[in-house]
Amino acid sequence: MTLNRRNLLKIGGAAAALPLLGTKAFAQSEPLKVGFMYIGTINDNGWNYAHNQGRLYLEEQLGDAVETTYVENVPEGPDSERVLRELAQSGHKLIFATSFGYGDYVIKVAEQFPDVTFEHATGYMRSANVGTYNARFHEGRAVCGTIAGHMSQTGKAGYIGSFPIPEVVMGINSFVLAARKINPDFTITPVYISTWNDPAKEADAARAMIDQGIDIIAQHTDGPAALQVAEERGIVGGFGQGADMSAFAPQAQLTSIIDNWGPHYVKTAQAVIDGTWESKDSWPGLAEGEVQIGPYGPKVPEDVIAAAEAVKNGQIDGSFNIFTGPINDHTGAEKVAAGVTLTDAELLSMDWYVEGVIPPA
Amino acid sequence: MTLELAIAIIVTVVGASTPILIAALGELVVEKSGVLNLGVEGMMLVGAITGFVVVFTTGNHYLAILLAAGAGVATSMIFGFLTLSLSANQTATGLALTIFGTGFSALAGQGYSARPVTLLGPLFPSELATHPIWRVLFGYSALVYFSFAMVLAVWWFLKKTRAGLILRAVGENDHSAHSIGYSVVAVRYGAVAFGGAMAGIAGACFPLLLTPQWAERMTAGRGWIAVALVVFASWKPFRLLAGAYLFGLVMTMELYAKAGGGPLSAIPAELWAAMPYLATVVVLVLISIRRDASSNAPACLGRPFLPSN
Amino acid sequence: MMQFRLEKRREPSRFMLYATPVAAVALTMIIGAVIFSVIGYDGIGAVREIFLTPLTNSFKWQDLGVKAAPLIIIGVGLSIAYRANVWNIGAEGQYIMGGLAATWVALASHGAGGWWTLPAMMLAGMAGGAAYGAIPALLKTRLNVNEILTSLMLTYASVQLIYYLVRAPWKDPMGMGFPQTRRFASEALLPNIFPGTIVHAGVPIAIIVALIAWFIMSRSVFGYQMRVVGAAPHAARYGGFSENKTIWLAMLVSGGLAGLAGMLEVAGPFQRMVPGFPTNYGFTAIIVAFLGRLNPLGVIFAGIVMAITFVGGEVAQTTIGLSNSATGVFQAMMLFFLLAGDILVRYRLKRVVPQVEAGA
Repeated sequence: MTLNRRNLLKIGGAAAALPLLGTKAFAQSEPLKVGFMYIGTINDNGWNYAHNQGRLYLEEQLGDAVETTYVENVPEGPDSERVLRELAQSGHKLIFATSFGYGDYVIKVAEQFPDVTFEHATGYMRSANVGTYNARFHEGRAVCGTIAGHMSQTGKAGYIGSFPIPEVVMGINSFVLAARKINPDFTITPVYISTWNDPAKEADAARAMIDQGIDIIAQHTDGPAALQVAEERGIVGGFGQGADMSAFAPQAQLTSIIDNWGPHYVKTAQAVIDGTWESKDSWPGLAEGEVQIGPYGPKVPEDVIAAAEAVKNGQIDGSFNIFTGPINDHTGAEKVAAGVTLTDAELLSMDWYVEGVIPPA
Repeated sequence: MTLELAIAIIVTVVGASTPILIAALGELVVEKSGVLNLGVEGMMLVGAITGFVVVFTTGNHYLAILLAAGAGVATSMIFGFLTLSLSANQTATGLALTIFGTGFSALAGQGYSARPVTLLGPLFPSELATHPIWRVLFGYSALVYFSFAMVLAVWWFLKKTRAGLILRAVGENDHSAHSIGYSVVAVRYGAVAFGGAMAGIAGACFPLLLTPQWAERMTAGRGWIAVALVVFASWKPFRLLAGAYLFGLVMTMELYAKAGGGPLSAIPAELWAAMPYLATVVVLVLISIRRDASSNAPACLGRPFLPSN
Repeated sequence: MMQFRLEKRREPSRFMLYATPVAAVALTMIIGAVIFSVIGYDGIGAVREIFLTPLTNSFKWQDLGVKAAPLIIIGVGLSIAYRANVWNIGAEGQYIMGGLAATWVALASHGAGGWWTLPAMMLAGMAGGAAYGAIPALLKTRLNVNEILTSLMLTYASVQLIYYLVRAPWKDPMGMGFPQTRRFASEALLPNIFPGTIVHAGVPIAIIVALIAWFIMSRSVFGYQMRVVGAAPHAARYGGFSENKTIWLAMLVSGGLAGLAGMLEVAGPFQRMVPGFPTNYGFTAIIVAFLGRLNPLGVIFAGIVMAITFVGGEVAQTTIGLSNSATGVFQAMMLFFLLAGDILVRYRLKRVVPQVEAGA
């Protein structure tokens, strides 16, 4: 029997049916109820899917000590406030809100429920019982950019994004900085499509890129649509986003960046159980295993794999940082001096493009 | 712009235009009969999940198209029964149908999201499409040729057949049609079913023609664009064809402009996205000023038919 | 075989008017429970959580009020328009323009606001919504352009306007680059009327709006005019009522109320303009208007019923893991039954004894 929420509910139900037998035992080890709030569906193959995998990992690791619930398709707005209160009122003592736009409401509801711990993904506002967490996806982007620099024949990559938020800008910059270390003429063209999930539009964006000489496609939107076009057209390839997407593009997926939220969820839940949780910003990356590089595709030659692994390992042991100067902005003016590394705060508000990015209007 | 790029753009435009053309052709016939079904988006989603599940389980694309059409008809019959047999308000019922289609397709599609399928291949043998010019003519899947054939068929039906005449009469003046002895309700049932079949096929275009996967709400508002398109085309099949390709061109050029740079890339994304709707309002105004085509709008559009009056 | 025939009632049935919504909800609960049990869900649990928990759990009442308020305000405006046979289905766009106009006031007065900020936002919201409703009215009265179509098209254009404004000119300078405006200053935020709850001033405003509308529609010349023009346009012309004037009034009132709802939402629950501001209230309110039988008092109850399904849907997700899409199916089913029940208000179901050789 796999341990999932539905089974846990059954177990919970059985316990409730036998109050005389179980009261004491259950009272002592009452499970921590953990709630998750997702912006989309858990079946999106991307962002929400990855968070839900993290939730399942949490159940698997902590077993009876936790009991989890999720609410999906919660819009960023007053609806999220209602769901947060619903979760808090129904006994959830730890709540993960996994989209940026929930921020205002997390802070607001957290004030009303001081004994509940909240964690807000990709946010920046914290309070006594609100922590924030994110993952350094840009470290993975540097690995992808290294592969792109080696393998692209045209030296042109495209990047399908939803909105130009710092998270996305950081990823684009990291990618092209890495690629230009191999091919100094490498360029990347971001295309923002103003939506997180419109697969047909993503696919058309990929077609528009390929038809204009782009042979590597990276994306920051959920879902495998762009990779499937890359596969169909037989270009050099692209990268899985959030999860391994090789099932959709066995040839074209060069590698993937995997969001691995599980360890953070386990660590946080354990801290709440132990009473050691404190409000902080948690921003781990490759070193902590929260960002992982998936298997390399069949087209990636050995020497390129070695180069990619070197970049990955350099970031893991701290010897390499993609955002260490000299870095020029897209006009060619020096933005970061040699030897200087951008701080986390500077990264989190990044709104400028590095050299090699063809800036969108 | 090179010839290759021009042809590549045409091919992408054809893909983007086909589903809205098919869905809008169905809605055109529905509206010509005097019924406004705003549930196109919902019926498309039901068609999309049906098409996906069939092609995933059987691998047969043509069966998938057929069953998607059937699922579209079944969904449209909910609307037909409520609005035609029970004369419920069409606007409210259409909106409810979209809520239904969105929820139903997501429910049915649970567990199908991480599953890839294959696209429907080109109809003609690839030897015919080796040269880029020939590719423009012979490079597409059957769904694209189907959409063209249906433009002709709908035009012929409405203009040249007796049944088409009756359908238009029902949409123009239901009470007169009724008094001459035509069954207004039966004609409208037929039209609504046709609209459902076309919306189902249009939905199936998403997993079969555009992006071989299932994703919740994957039609992403194209059903509403189809509704706009019918009006934009002032209820004329050939104008609908032109309009669908104009809308498809607008949706596609945004992406080509952004991916390739150039002056067009300076236009904000939001203006691109709003263009089809604003253009539709402008066209509505123009046809009203010229007054030639405004008579083409079915006079009974959206009004329930109550025979006992 | 037993056959039934529908026979038009001389007067709409009062009994059916009240009985059909109740029956529709009851039928949805029963059939929904059966269907969902058959396909492997906890059908009875789903019905309990969606329809009953929001009513029995007093914590949820505030949520119902907050969710129902915009639906009621917009639904009241739409029911006035629909009574006059003016088919404004672009309330979502008018709601958005009202929200944007109010946002403009809030941002422009940021740091320089006072007691007048909220009233100014309210006026701006109503003006914004009414102005957006005036476009279909102008096109309808001048050029006879179908208002169903223009109001719908304008809605989609207005959604893009939000995206543009929050991405570029109105973007919060401190917002880490995210597409949203700054949080409004406290003078631009709606006060909570019950401390400790989330019930904001918009909730009583919704009730007041509905009561005023009910009074005007049933007791005033204006209401009489709207009803007469809608029910019998020819008679109205003889009576000296201008059809064009009615169209203008209907569009301005329904647009203005939608704009008011937009202002209350952005200054209440949202507290800033975000891309997620269009939450389909304008479309849902069309359904609410019909469920409420185009009667402002009925709209209050219809708004609460719709709010129950939204709030209950989330309860069902947290308690029994019912997916969000299943809630959508429940909602659609209820609407179908409610719309189907409409016919019993206007018609009588008569049993027909089939005669031999009687053609169908």
